[in-house]
Order: sequence, then C-alpha cells, then structure tokens
Amino acid sequence: MTSAVTSEPAAGTVAARAEEVTKIYGIGDTAVRALNNITVDFAAGRYTAIMGPSGSGKSTLLHCLAGLDRVTAGRVLLGDVDVTACSEKELTIVRRDKIGFVFQSYNLIPTLNAIENITLPLALAGKKPDKQWLDRVITTVGLSDRLNHRPSELSGGQQQRVAVARALASRPQVIFADEPTGNLDSKASAEILQFMRQAVTDLGQTVVMVTHDPAAAGYSDRVVFLADGKIVDELQSPTAETVIDHAKTLGE
Amino acid sequence: MGRVTIKGLLAHKLRFALTALAVMLGVAFMSGTMVLTDTISRTFDNLFADVNKGTDAYVRSAQSLSSGFGGPSRRQRGRIPASLLPEIQSVPGAAAAEGHLQFYAQLVDKKGDAIGNPGQGAPTFGFNWGTVKALNPYRLEPGGHAPQGNQVVIDAASAQDAGFKVGDTITILTQGPPGQYQISGIAKFGDADSAAGSTAALFDTPTAQSIAGAPDQFDSISVVADPGVSQKTLTERIAAKLDSKSYQVLTGEQITKENQNDIKNALQFFNVALLVFALIALFVGTFIIFNTFSIVVAQRLREMALLRAIGASGRQVLASVLTEAVLVGLFASVIGLGAGIVLSNALKAVLDAFGFDIPAGGTVVTAQTVIVALLVGTGVTIFSAVVPARKASRVPPIAAMRDVATEGRPHSGRRVLIGFGITLLGVLALFAGLFGGQGIQFVGLGALIVFIGVFVLGPAVARPLSDWIGWPAARLRGITGTLARDNAMRNPKRTSATAAALMIGVALVGFITIFAASAKESIDAQVDEGFKADYVISTGTGFGASFGGFSPQLATDISKLPQVGASSPLRINHAEFNGSSQFFAGVDPRSANEVFNLKVEEGKVGDLAQPNSVGIARTVADDKHWGIGSRVQTQFPNGTTNLTVKTIYANGNKQGLADYAMSISTMSQHYTNQLDQYVFVNLAEGVSPAEGRKAIDGVLKAYPNAELQDRTEFKDAQAAQINQLLGLIYVMLLLAVIIALIGIANTLALSIYERTRELGLLRAVGMSRRQLRSSIRWESVIIALLGTLVGLVIGFFFGWAVIQALKDQGFTRFAPPAGQLILVVIVGGLAGVLAAVFPARRAAKLDVLQAVTHE
Repeated sequence: MTSAVTSEPAAGTVAARAEEVTKIYGIGDTAVRALNNITVDFAAGRYTAIMGPSGSGKSTLLHCLAGLDRVTAGRVLLGDVDVTACSEKELTIVRRDKIGFVFQSYNLIPTLNAIENITLPLALAGKKPDKQWLDRVITTVGLSDRLNHRPSELSGGQQQRVAVARALASRPQVIFADEPTGNLDSKASAEILQFMRQAVTDLGQTVVMVTHDPAAAGYSDRVVFLADGKIVDELQSPTAETVIDHAKTLGE
Repeated sequence: MGRVTIKGLLAHKLRFALTALAVMLGVAFMSGTMVLTDTISRTFDNLFADVNKGTDAYVRSAQSLSSGFGGPSRRQRGRIPASLLPEIQSVPGAAAAEGHLQFYAQLVDKKGDAIGNPGQGAPTFGFNWGTVKALNPYRLEPGGHAPQGNQVVIDAASAQDAGFKVGDTITILTQGPPGQYQISGIAKFGDADSAAGSTAALFDTPTAQSIAGAPDQFDSISVVADPGVSQKTLTERIAAKLDSKSYQVLTGEQITKENQNDIKNALQFFNVALLVFALIALFVGTFIIFNTFSIVVAQRLREMALLRAIGASGRQVLASVLTEAVLVGLFASVIGLGAGIVLSNALKAVLDAFGFDIPAGGTVVTAQTVIVALLVGTGVTIFSAVVPARKASRVPPIAAMRDVATEGRPHSGRRVLIGFGITLLGVLALFAGLFGGQGIQFVGLGALIVFIGVFVLGPAVARPLSDWIGWPAARLRGITGTLARDNAMRNPKRTSATAAALMIGVALVGFITIFAASAKESIDAQVDEGFKADYVISTGTGFGASFGGFSPQLATDISKLPQVGASSPLRINHAEFNGSSQFFAGVDPRSANEVFNLKVEEGKVGDLAQPNSVGIARTVADDKHWGIGSRVQTQFPNGTTNLTVKTIYANGNKQGLADYAMSISTMSQHYTNQLDQYVFVNLAEGVSPAEGRKAIDGVLKAYPNAELQDRTEFKDAQAAQINQLLGLIYVMLLLAVIIALIGIANTLALSIYERTRELGLLRAVGMSRRQLRSSIRWESVIIALLGTLVGLVIGFFFGWAVIQALKDQGFTRFAPPAGQLILVVIVGGLAGVLAAVFPARRAAKLDVLQAVTHE
C-alpha cells in the first residue's frame, strides 16, 4: 500500500487513518463489497481529495472515516481515537468535537439563522465559541453581513459557505466534505473550493473531500483514486489538467 | 386511484393507526354510553313488565303534582281510600283486586348499619304484602310465610348480604319510630334476588298502612280481569263506576308503558350528560383528523402533483384523499363500536365508583347504536378531511417539478378578522343562553363556536405565544430548547391545530374546576349567612339527602334533650305557587327563626303555625306584589289549597334558604312522604360541644342512617359532594385530553418524518440522542402548554360567565382556585412530555447516515 504519510511535508501527524477497512453491504448473494481492505492515511494540515467513478466506494470511505457508517472489518482512527471501537454516545461526541461536515445539499437547519447554524456544534457541546477564530472563519467565507439571515433567505452558494463555516467553527481535527460543490454553479463552486483551500493553507485545517469534479480536485494537495472499493492510485499537488490526465490513464 | 390510496394507507400504518385511534376512542365512548343506557333502560322495562304482569286495570288518584327534579318525571300523587277496593271488586269482569302501598322502609343490618342509601343508589321500599298471587311480583322462598302483624318479608338480596334468616328479628327504619320486626319470610322478585337493586320490606296491609301513616288508604289498586274480559273493557267498566275527577283508571298496558317511559325520561338526563362527553371527545377528534390529513396532504403534495401531471384529475385526487378518510373512519368506527360495547361495563363501573349505582342486566346493543356509531364515526372523519382533500385536489401539476413549500402563509388580517368574528358570535350565543334565558343549548352552542373561533384565530397567535412560552426553554436548555421553540413556531397552523385539541379539554377542565371552587365558596357563604344552627343532622353526604330522610320522631327525640336549646326539622319539597313550580321549606315555626337566619322583615315566623300559612322571601313579595295576608293558590299532590302569607323574610334561595316556607304540619296534610331530611340544632346555653355531641349521638344510635355534623363538617360534606361530581366530570373529560395527546404525538411523528434530513444533520454534527429527545420533548411541551394556557383563558371566561349568570341562584362567589389552575398547567406540560415519548424515541433511533441523505 502507498505510504503517502512519509512524504507529507506539513505537520507530519496523521489526522485520520483507515486500516485494512472493509465494508460489505447486504448478506449472501446480494452482498456488495463497497470497500475492500483499504488502508490510507490523511495527514494533518493537508487538503485531500478522493475521486473515483460511481460505485467506487468513495462516499462509503468518507462515511466510514467520519463515523457515520460502521465498517465490516478493519479500524478507523481519528488522531488517536479508534472510531470503530466507539459506542454510539462516544461517536456523537467525536462527531461534535473532532469532525466538521460539509454535505452536498447544504443541510442547514432552516429555523436557525446563519450564525446560529455556524455555531450549532459548539452550542450542542455547550461550549462558548472562540470569538477570534469565529470572526476569522466568518471573514474568510465572507458572511459577515449575512449572519442574521435564515437559510431560506440565502442563495445556494451562501448556504454552502455557512455550511463550510459551521464545519470550521469548532476547529475540528478533520473536515469531511461530501461533493460540496455538487449542487452549485461554477462560480459558487470556485468560491467554496477556494475557502476550503484557505482553511487549510491559512487556518491550518485538515480537509478530506469526495468529488467527481477534476476541477475541484485541482484545489487539493493530494488526490486519492478509488475503484471497486480499492485505492488504485494517487496524485500529489494536482491541477485540474493532471487530474483529468490521470483519470484517463486509470480508465484505460 | 383506489389502489394508490390503499397502498398509501398500508405504507403509513402508524399514521393510519393514530388517526384511527382518535376517531375510535370517541366512537367507543359514544357507543358505550348508548349501550349502557339501553341496557339500563331494558332492565327497567323488564322490571316494570314483571311488576305489572298480572295487572289488567289500575286505579289511582287523579290528583298529582309533577316532581320538581329535572330528571324523573314521576309525579307525586295523593292516596285513595281503601273503601274503593270492595267497590272495584264488585265490578263485573274483575276476578281479583288488591290495594298497594309503597313507602320508605330501610332495613338495618345486624351491626346496626342501614342497608342501602336511597339518596345515591336504588330505593329502599316498604310495601304491603299482596295476597293476590297474580298481582304480587314477590315469591316467598321455601320455609317462609306471608307477614302478619309484627312480621316482615324481606328481599332475598338483602337477606343474603346481611345474613338474615326466617325467624330473625330485624330493625326497620320508617317514617314512624324505628321498629323491630320478625322475619316471616324471604322473597325473590320473580327469579331475581331483588328488584333492580332496591331493597324491600313487605308487611301485611294494616301494618303497612300504619307505617305509611295511611290508615284506610292505598296508593293504587290493581285489578285482575276474568278470563275473556279485555283490559280495555275492565278499565272502562271500573272508570264508569268512579268519579273521574278524583280517580284515574288505566289498563295494565298503560301503567306499564308509563312506568317504563318515566324511567326512560329519568335516564334521558343521564344519557345526554354522558353523550355530551362523548361528543366532546369526538369534537376533539375532528381537530386531530383535520390536522393529520392537512399534514399528510402537505407532505404528499409532490406525489399528488405527480399524479396530476400524469393525468389524474383534481376530482380523482379529491376522491383519493376522501377514500382514505372513509376507510380510516369506517375502520375506526367498527373497532370503536366493539370497544364501546366493552366500555359500557367500564362506564358503569366508573359511575358506581362515583356513587351512581344503577342496575343493569345483560348488555343491550340496539341497531340504532350500531348505525349511529358507524355513521357518526365515519361522518366525522370525512367531514374533517374535506378541507385538506379540497386543498389536495387544487395542487397544480407543476408543483411536482418544484420543491414543495410547506403550508401557506401563517396568518393574514382576514383570518384574524374572521376568527374574532366567530369568537364574538360564540360569546354572544353563550351570553344569550346564560343571561338571555335561551337555555342550556345556547350555552353549549356558544362554547362550541368560541372554540371554533379560537381555532381559526390560532395560527395568528400560535407563533408569538409559542415564542413566549418557549422562552424559558430556549433560555435554560440552550440550543435544544431553541430548536424546540423554533420548531414549535415553525408551522403555526399545525401547531395551533394540534394545541387546539388540548385547548378544548383544558378549557372544560378549567371551567369545571373554577365553577366547582366558586360553588363551594358560595355554599360556605350561604351556610354562614343562612344558618344559625350549631349542628345539622342529615342522612349524610349523598346528593340525595332530599330523597331519603328519617322519621320525624328523631326531631322530637332531639328537642327533648336538655342539652339542646332550639331545634327544627327541615323538609324540602316543591309545590306550584300560583302556577309556578317552586321548592319550599317545611319547618317548625316555633324554632325556625333560631336555627335559620331568616331576617324576618314582616310578620312572625311563629305565625306560620296557623293552618294554611306560608312565609315568603322579600324578593318573591316584591316580584309578585304580595304582602302579609295575601292569598297564594298552591297546588299540592293531593289538590289545590289557598295559603295565606304570614311572614316576609329577607334571606331566600340566594342565601341558601328557601323562597317559600311553611310549617311541617301544614305540609304533611298534602304529601304522602312524612320524612324529615334535616334537623338543625342549637345547643342550650352553657352546654359544651362535646357534651352536646354526646347527647345527640345517643339519640342518633337508634337512627343509623342519620349523621350529625357541625357547621364545618356540614360545609365539608357539601364540598365533598361537589368534589365527587367534579371527579366524575374529570374522568369523563380525561378521554378528550387523551385524544388530544394522541393528536400531539401524531403531529410530532409526522413533523419528525418531514424533518428526517434535518434530524440526520443535527445528529451528524454532534447532537446526542439525549439532546434530540430533549428537543422534541420541549417542542411537545411548548405545544401542550400553548393549548393548556389558551384553554385556561377560555375556561376562566366560561367559569366567570356561568357564575355571573347563576348569581341569583346563590352562586355569589367567583373563586378561581390558583393552586389547582397552576396544577392544570403543570399537568398540561407533563402531558406534553408524555405525548413526546414515542415520537422522540423514534427520532432518536434514526440512522444518521440514512437520515442525512433522506430525500
């Protein structure tokens, strides 16, 4: 297996790690092996994209890493926490304190305004937000003048910016993004990807993003390619063009 | 389309079940009531058919006075001379005839306690033993014989319960002094141990006449016809012989029918009272059904638009929703009917527990019950679903392509205007009923319209009120509380419709609580204002203190005690004074003024001792322009008499006394019942309460059904009576509250389904299951409190209005009990917690990943 970690220039620590992870859906004849004995590290302070064709298992991998889905075999580590050994209660706390989420459909709480949505995980934990950090996050995503708006009063791009800010607000160990630009037009997409890039570069956050868009992958530090539940390749310091080329070679 | 409907129903079993449950409970209550009433009614039908089985003709006095009590239409009647008997026997075609007497006689068991309580349960009768077998429904058990002289035959049920055998001596309370009798026989009523739970003491005719104070008199005479002589022929022949002004002659069939109808009318009151509660439950149910269908239609808007897009007409969509309503309604009604038949027994047990002991034989389910239950249950469901169904049919096909918005604008000026208009109309109807003399129907109708008006207003006020009610939750419970409040405010139409169901129950609970507390205070005030007596002797706590009573001998015995200063018996009865039926008090003119605070203004109470005198309250004197010496034409059961006004006093009905008063000696000329209902006692000067009590208790030993109470105890006993009724009403309203809770649970469950993705997200970003449950619980509590508080406001208003209307009847105090009302609010909130248990658990169990990706 690829041991990308050693080549990571940044902090050098592993933010998330999958160890020989297998995920099987269903049983018997109808069983589908979504992840097949995958081992992969995601370094802290880096922006990693996961790519692959439909059914390659990329979303499943993300869900397993984030503790949203249980693995059939293997371990998932977030920092030094073994997610696979966590109880439902512990998992909730892990999600609340160590993980940030950005989903494809914006997934904001419609009854809460922008700032309430952003601080939701903190409020759930009963924590006071770090004012300075919060200001920085909000400035980064450019929402300062929209904080009291409800989601229904925001455009799709603005809603997704709120979602990114929410993921950043608790300064999590890893941010998992599942097709974050899937519902956005190209301009809004570019903005969101730029914010996530900034979150890593300027704010020192760790992002793991599933995407099928080579342009989106081009914002990352590293691309991991999945096919049939296995990691088939990876690419350091990609651009949209190199990703497309790479994907082509894989396809052949 | 039909298949789509049925598949839709099966796919949402829970929603189906909860909606059906709301209808089912209402229908069950209603059919249970009808079954119970029919059962009781049948029991009495059979009873009277048995009693009058051998009777072909029936003779009684033509003089009568309708009973003043709302329910029983039984009339008090004068007696007829025993000398009629040979006259009737000599009529050609009369095979046999016998005179009957019926009077109060209460058996005392071996421990010295009175058996039965005529005030609350079945009556305790004394009869003369019939020697004509065809006319005597009682059958001696082997080993006994007919009573003679100092002997008595008692009913088998009493004999078994109290362990009496032939030859035993038994004490019997009558209107004379308590007497000792030897049991000569034990008798069954036909095949039953007793006649519908009543006790019977049967004496020979001279003894019975002596006990009833009716020497040479009978209440009625029954006649058996010779073979071949019809009832009609016999009756006509007897009637021809008698003075039709004095005597009435009926056929056996007629008297049976009359007895049966009397009981039916008496039960009517009780039937209506129970049905009112069933209708309240159904009314609350309509809100639930309306709300469920509204939510479901909103949720399925896209599905319906799709159906429209692929060619279904609006009419077909309408039909589809209505078909669902029909299926739910029919299903629920059938189950409800079944449950109702079972419930009728439970209902009877509840009534028994609250002291309304009613005999009932085998369960009677009439076709009418079945038809009404099915029609009403299904009808209510369809009616409630019509508005949502029409909305569904108007969905434009294009809505299938759009993201479906939730329900429309929460409120508009027009809604507020219409809501206020309806509410005002309701208030006007209520006032017309209460103050305008339009009757109880208007009061009920007004209340109904007020509820509908507030329901229409609901969406306009639900948002600000939820905000306000939810403020502490948001403040104290952080984000879970905030989310709860926001969700409660999110869809004001839904929230208000859900809360409205609870509102109705709470309004009625609040009203009855306030009314009862005010009534208690008013009675306390009346006792303080109207009575000067230190002690009251009565038959105890029953509502029917005025039905039972005790021998006048008791008052005589008490008055002879050296420890007693003044004492007066009191009998309440009614008569028609110048054509209007009124209650009056029969008192001892020598002492009445000392135990009652009459505040005599003209004349003397002592003057009432003169024959045919009457005392009247100032209000009556002013109203009728009567003064001392005025003549009042008074209709008694045995005829009309002119009474002369001898005294005018200030304190009448309103002060807990009576607007009319006369001496017991005048009264006793006109009534067959010679029992005292109360004796009011003042101790002699210098006698300590302990000494007085001891002396009085010594006398009361011989009268086991009489009870001594001081003023506080008397007030407490009155309060206990009210509490008893209050308890029964609470139990009856409980069902409406339970249905409302089902409604809250249903709405929450549906809302949660709608919010699946949102809940998934909350869980994904770190909301714990406990926090999620807590949030839903608070949402439920906010909705419940919304209903509770609005309900209490309405209840408060109803209470106030009714007390104002009854001011002249002595309800002088308006006393909302703060503690109890706060308790209602707390219980309302807890009910919200209860309603949330199931939906909250369901929400917490959602799989996070599935939920967050839920479409």
